[in-house]
Amino acid sequence: MSNRRSRQSSSALRISDDQMIDLVSQLCQLLPEIRERRRSDKVSASKVLQETCNYIRKLHREVDNLSERLSQLLDSVDEDSHEASVIRSLLM
Amino acid sequence: MQPTSSMNKEFLKKWQMGLQIFRPSIDNTSVSERKRAIKLSADVAMASLRKGTTCWSRALIQKTASEDNFLVRQMLSGIKEETLINKKLPKVMCHRKIVRRSKKILMRRKSRSAMEEVAAKAKKLVKRKTQGLRNAVPGGEFMSNNVLLIQETLDYIVSLQTQVNVMRSIVDAAAAGIER
Repeated sequence: MSNRRSRQSSSALRISDDQMIDLVSQLCQLLPEIRERRRSDKVSASKVLQETCNYIRKLHREVDNLSERLSQLLDSVDEDSHEASVIRSLLM
Repeated sequence: MQPTSSMNKEFLKKWQMGLQIFRPSIDNTSVSERKRAIKLSADVAMASLRKGTTCWSRALIQKTASEDNFLVRQMLSGIKEETLINKKLPKVMCHRKIVRRSKKILMRRKSRSAMEEVAAKAKKLVKRKTQGLRNAVPGGEFMSNNVLLIQETLDYIVSLQTQVNVMRSIVDAAAAGIER
């Protein structure tokens, strides 16, 4: 790592510093796509960022789907039924 | 960083509170209105876990308040975060057109080696992906530097995971309870 950094610092552009490297590796830990790869595989910064965006959007979609499902479940239940009280006890 | 069970519990409690606020009208509403209430209260519950300490959570509370001011006020009433509802977020936006124009001028004057070209392209790519991330994280446009952006992203992802896990458990349990 330090070899690469000293080579990079001699070029005109330095994309990451210590803190960024650490943060990006923390991101890698969170992303299921990247965590499951072999340790020896190197992942570029832009790939990590892309996967992060994809993952966040995927989580947004899941929340949306779950909200929809829950709303429909509440709809399908007869107000006085046993099922309604199950849901009520879970949610309310 | 992982979602903890105390985070799960706290999220569930706050989300339940939000749903209770909506409860009186729950029987007279359409599926889509109910879905909206479920989702908005889940978002406020998730954001309020952070007690105003992160940029994304403040931005999310403000955004949700603009969609349903009453619900957010009720959920946050008596809590410190209530003051966030009308607070103006700081504007830290760079004027991209001006930066882009001055960069173009600079670039025309330099002649670059092949290696510099590659490095420049890589940097551009990272910049574009970073911008994509700013769009995905609430309040991203106000995060003035990339270090802050990634720190906020890490926290936001863990919070989203909490939200999804708890919601999924509840929905699965409710579905199982009904089918029985």
